[in-house]
Amino acid sequence: MTETTILAAYGLLVLLTILLQVLGGMQQLSLGYLISSRDETRTVSGMTARIERALANSITAMALFAPAILILVVLDRTSSASLLAAQVFLIARIVYLPVYAFGIPAVRTLVWLAGFAATAILYFLAL
Amino acid sequence: MGPELTVLILAALVQVVTFVIYAIPANLELGAGYTLSARDRAPTRQMSDRTARLGRAMNNMFEALILFGIASLAIQTTDQSTTYTALLAWVFMAARIAYVPAYAYGLRPGRSIIWAVGFGATVLMLIAALF
Repeated sequence: MTETTILAAYGLLVLLTILLQVLGGMQQLSLGYLISSRDETRTVSGMTARIERALANSITAMALFAPAILILVVLDRTSSASLLAAQVFLIARIVYLPVYAFGIPAVRTLVWLAGFAATAILYFLAL
Repeated sequence: MGPELTVLILAALVQVVTFVIYAIPANLELGAGYTLSARDRAPTRQMSDRTARLGRAMNNMFEALILFGIASLAIQTTDQSTTYTALLAWVFMAARIAYVPAYAYGLRPGRSIIWAVGFGATVLMLIAALF
């Protein structure tokens, strides 16, 4: 796996998260509400709400991870260190989703931190 | 420049246009006094349903754009662009343009179907980038 394929794989993970959020919304809010224009605010709870928060966090992580990878690739600065950091990021984010969905405290924060640190390292490698 | 990147730039411009057609009525309805403030409190005046829908359409486009951006840049930097991926990019573009009026006019279930088309195109592009 190269950095670019890891990025594409992470994109698929975020798409999967969106899909899970839609499925949870269908269960809690009804399909009728989902396909409407949602003019009245309805909120989800429990696991679906946690998946929704995980999704928001994944989008933020994506906005930081993607430019780092693309800078490394465009500048031809990829190395074994950047590949390792990207792999750590992907594994951390894969673990993050179920850990958040099942509401496991502390572990979630640690896993998030691993992904965050890996992203920071990628930026240092890109500089 | 490959077709996927052309579409990416056009998609960003669609987002700019969506922002403008949302921001103008939002400012008129909430009042510039509120929108220029630090927004510490919820606005006293409400946005119309249509304006609020445009705001939600814009927020949805941010998510769509970040994933499509990755798909198109991954395909471009790894030289994997084909007629198939170019077609998917244009399908995404068409769906995201149609999504804004579909949301504004509350098309049901048209909006959800259009969203699914854009989502599906992105999934297929990411899979194409991987293999």
